[in-house]
Amino acid sequence: MLLKLAWLNIWRNKRRTIITATSVFFAVLLAIIFRSLTDGVYDNMIHNVVSYSSGYLQIHQKGYWDEQSIDNTFEEDNQLYEELLKNPKVTHIMPRLETFALASYSEKTKGVLVLGIDPDKEKEVNNLHEKIVAGEYIEGINDNAVVLGEGLASQLKLKVNDTLVLLGQGYHASSAAAKFRVKGLVKLGAIELNNNVVYMPLQQSQAMHGAENRLTSVSVMLDKASNLEDLKHTLLKSIDADKYEVMSWKEMMPEMDQFIEADSTGHYIIIGVLYFIISFGLFGTLLMMVFERKHELGILIAIGMKKRLLALVLLLESIMISLIGCFTGVIAGILFIKWFTIHPIHLTGDLKQVYEDYGIESIIYLSSHEKIFIVQTLIVLILSILLAFYPGYKVMKLKPVEAINS
Amino acid sequence: MAQTIIDAHNVSKTFNPKTVPVHAVQNVHVHIEEGEFVALVGPSGSGKSTLLNMMGGLDEPTAGSVIIDGVEITELSENKLIDFRLHNIGFVFQSFNLIPVLTAKENVGFVLQLQHMPKAEREKRVLTLLEEVGLEDKINSKPGELSGGQQQRVAVARALASKPKIILADEPTANLDSKSAANLLDIMAKLNKEEKITFLFSTHDQRVIKKARRVITLVDGKVASDVQQIPS
Ligand SMILES: Nc1ncnc2c1ncn2[C@@H]1O[C@H](COP(=O)(O)OP(=O)(O)O)[C@@H](O)[C@H]1O
Ligand SMILES: [Mg+2]
Repeated sequence: MLLKLAWLNIWRNKRRTIITATSVFFAVLLAIIFRSLTDGVYDNMIHNVVSYSSGYLQIHQKGYWDEQSIDNTFEEDNQLYEELLKNPKVTHIMPRLETFALASYSEKTKGVLVLGIDPDKEKEVNNLHEKIVAGEYIEGINDNAVVLGEGLASQLKLKVNDTLVLLGQGYHASSAAAKFRVKGLVKLGAIELNNNVVYMPLQQSQAMHGAENRLTSVSVMLDKASNLEDLKHTLLKSIDADKYEVMSWKEMMPEMDQFIEADSTGHYIIIGVLYFIISFGLFGTLLMMVFERKHELGILIAIGMKKRLLALVLLLESIMISLIGCFTGVIAGILFIKWFTIHPIHLTGDLKQVYEDYGIESIIYLSSHEKIFIVQTLIVLILSILLAFYPGYKVMKLKPVEAINS
Repeated sequence: MAQTIIDAHNVSKTFNPKTVPVHAVQNVHVHIEEGEFVALVGPSGSGKSTLLNMMGGLDEPTAGSVIIDGVEITELSENKLIDFRLHNIGFVFQSFNLIPVLTAKENVGFVLQLQHMPKAEREKRVLTLLEEVGLEDKINSKPGELSGGQQQRVAVARALASKPKIILADEPTANLDSKSAANLLDIMAKLNKEEKITFLFSTHDQRVIKKARRVITLVDGKVASDVQQIPS
């Protein structure tokens, strides 16, 4: 009965209700578009960064992260691979042997990051082969070939087909030294990597370090960035937790996580202002509703309706008006995001260039994470409840005689 | 012997006691017994509404007490009082008594819903009530589609719904033409006779006063006369 009364009441002034609900509609729609756009940009950025570096999750020998030494490696473990690939949230896994070495060419010497990779798996994840700017990509065979970051090559003043000497520390304090042919150069968006990395086939690296079948890490790629924590927890349960540690990119690259958090704060402020504005509209409407209906509210109290029931009717009216706006806003938002998921925005001109320089795909994806919709709905719901407090308080204070005489 | 249903004991009401005091009602004693049909008359400003409001527990007296059916309502807490009104007192106000978005049927049924009466029983009672006030063909009309007289009859039906001991009506005919006014009074008189419901209504309309069996006259907030009469 109260629901019905509230519903009928909000349509007494159709125009005002529609205007108020429309303001909620636009606020919700804008907030959703805004969040999905920024989340989409972040997700894209994270995806690009982690596909070259750590993966979304990385599995190490327990203790490796604190002491990143070749002695903290583990043996390749098919059972682990199976366990990982069995999970539908896992799209790819990339076994790696990651070490540091001194690289020299003629007079020049430089500390480098040596990444032993599975060239085929790697290229599926990050299209490394497409970043080749000179020479060719490496293959999964041991032919003494390496691919260098283009920045590193120019620092060492070396070209394709030159011979690079690497000197490092091998497994169990053995020494690791070898000569390699530079087969290709890659241009990577991440400057750090571009200036320091040497890629070689995994087995070749294992042979060079006297670490046959050993890995520093298995990087894991996910279907959705938002599944990160979920998957971490399942993995921790399903793999041997005494032997391995599972770390997320947030733990391994806290700076990037913090950057995103800080950047988001600005967005929250913009959305906050948006909701602040519509709050005024809703609040005004609610006050008008009490004011206009004073006489009727007085009669209802006189004939025996408890004031808190009346306040509840008002609260329901507030929730109804805002939820009409909110649900239509969410639906419009979903359609909007659907449309741009099917037809993604391809950046053009300077912006496209900037993105490509950083090695990030120049397409803007919109995030369609449920959280965006749920959060907006909750915000509107909470606002409509909070805003109904003052009018509700007015009702509680109403004196029947005065109200009836007004 | 009939039972006392309303006992207003030495009731006074002063508005704005600190600034410009208005002594709206002064030391009024009124006893009304079950089944009476009483008109409260007096010129405008004589305190009729103020007295009725205090008898219905809508307003608090500055002094004195009001006892309805043995309950001293002037002592009740706000929520208890609202509940007391729901179950014991029916109200009819001068105008705009009804909830505009609800139909006649829903308006009458509203009180019964507040009392949590089951739906089937409620529907039956609402129909009986609307028949009693002669509106069986208007059950699904909204107040805006009814004439002033018809709206007041719905208000009477609503006041009756909870089977109250008394119905208080403050100038229920003030906004009606004389034919509708007479019709409303006839319905009230019939309900009073048939259902033994006590009516106390204020008016300054001579034709309405004639229908009462007892007439209490207020002048300047005091009872000037209190007489029984044969209604005509
Ligand atoms: N809320 C109020 N504040 C101040 N004075 C009031 C108030 N209500 C009524 N009065 C005064 O009390 C007196 C009685 O009013 P009322 O009971 O409405 O008379 P009636 O109903 O007989 O016309 C009048 O002088 C009126 O001006
Ligand atoms: Mg009056």
